[in-house]
Amino acid sequence: MSENDRRFQDAVLPHLDAAYNLARWLTGNDHDARDVVQDACLRAYRSIGQLRGASARPWLLAIVRNACFSWLRANRPTEVAGSLDDTERAGSTAREDTSPGPETLALENLDRKVLNDAIAALPAPYREVLILRELEELSYHDIANVTGAPVGTVMSRLSRGRRLLAQSFQVVLSHVESGGRR
Amino acid sequence: MKQEDALSLLQPYVDGELDAATSLELERYVMGDAIARAQLARLRSLSSALRAAADYHVAPASLRSGILSGTRGAAAPPKGSTRHVPAHWLRSVGIGVAAAAFASIATVALLGPTQQDLTEHDIFAAHARATVSDRLIDVASSDQHTVKPWLSARLGFSPPVPDLSGRGFELAGGRIDVVGGQRVAVIVYRRRQHMIDVLVRPAREETPSAKSRDGFNLNHFTQNGMSFWLISDLNANELGDLARLLVASAGP
Repeated sequence: MSENDRRFQDAVLPHLDAAYNLARWLTGNDHDARDVVQDACLRAYRSIGQLRGASARPWLLAIVRNACFSWLRANRPTEVAGSLDDTERAGSTAREDTSPGPETLALENLDRKVLNDAIAALPAPYREVLILRELEELSYHDIANVTGAPVGTVMSRLSRGRRLLAQSFQVVLSHVESGGRR
Repeated sequence: MKQEDALSLLQPYVDGELDAATSLELERYVMGDAIARAQLARLRSLSSALRAAADYHVAPASLRSGILSGTRGAAAPPKGSTRHVPAHWLRSVGIGVAAAAFASIATVALLGPTQQDLTEHDIFAAHARATVSDRLIDVASSDQHTVKPWLSARLGFSPPVPDLSGRGFELAGGRIDVVGGQRVAVIVYRRRQHMIDVLVRPAREETPSAKSRDGFNLNHFTQNGMSFWLISDLNANELGDLARLLVASAGP
């Protein structure tokens, strides 16, 4: 067994779940997630020499992420085209919306499916930063490395993604409330 | 601190990206500002809802073994895909996980490591092996009264298996592994999607430590004549929480 084989097994394979989770959330289905991850693992294997000292997790996730976006551009062009313009034009939106809203969202009562559907409905650039932050617990620095965006952009995408999610829940919640009153 | 500044710091605060001094300053400010307090509560509840309820998609075992062993039958997607990983590549990767672990131990040994280095290397290797081969658990049970006797029957000692489900750490099961040529108990806990291996063996004198490598965190301590190693891709803070719970449940 070569040095590269050993490094691949030690460094990359332990992060296969993280790779699959990201690909599954970005492609939206198991079949394509599996294809993209296999493809990305082959690339990771070929370029394992570049991994010197760097942390394997963000390195692998960057490869998977790029494979996912290539796949999206080829198969779901509407998901990646245009969606970003609004965001980046909105720029640093950290304090654009301080609308009052409920003190806390009644998220405990939110159906699991509603929450997952709402995440899946987010444009890919917001979805990916939220998955990397909340499910993979990556730092801003690592998310920036994975997505190839500056830390400032990571922060504004996180902020916007969270606001979009919160808004979609409030819509759902107010539907439920008004439905209940009728 | 101005309100404008405070509001823009709330998100990095929730994400654990602020230094201690700024965090403190922000916490003090938030106590006196209802708008900032409401924003903070919203951010927190959104974050915890995501962590608790968003689906975590674990790699299918067939994908894992496909990448490892090149068993094309198991690895190939049902149909319609033109992207297959070449079989020769898979064969070269899959020559043997055990051989890999042995080779890396041998490499470390040549460099003249300390006993502690060796032990830690074994522990990282054991965790990686178990994760890669999907063999984290030999006895799967959330019942401490099932896991503990199973482990005791296979070891010369009886490891503590506390029920910490009330504290956010679900018992998932146990297995036996080998560290430094010695059989150790591995108690597996789950927190959200993270699996945590707790390796236990009768203690030698070792100093407590915490470190990380390749995205995995390791926490080590000895208590009541037992050595504990906690290893997981869970963040170091929460792994530390589990260490404290284990110390507390093992008694003085």
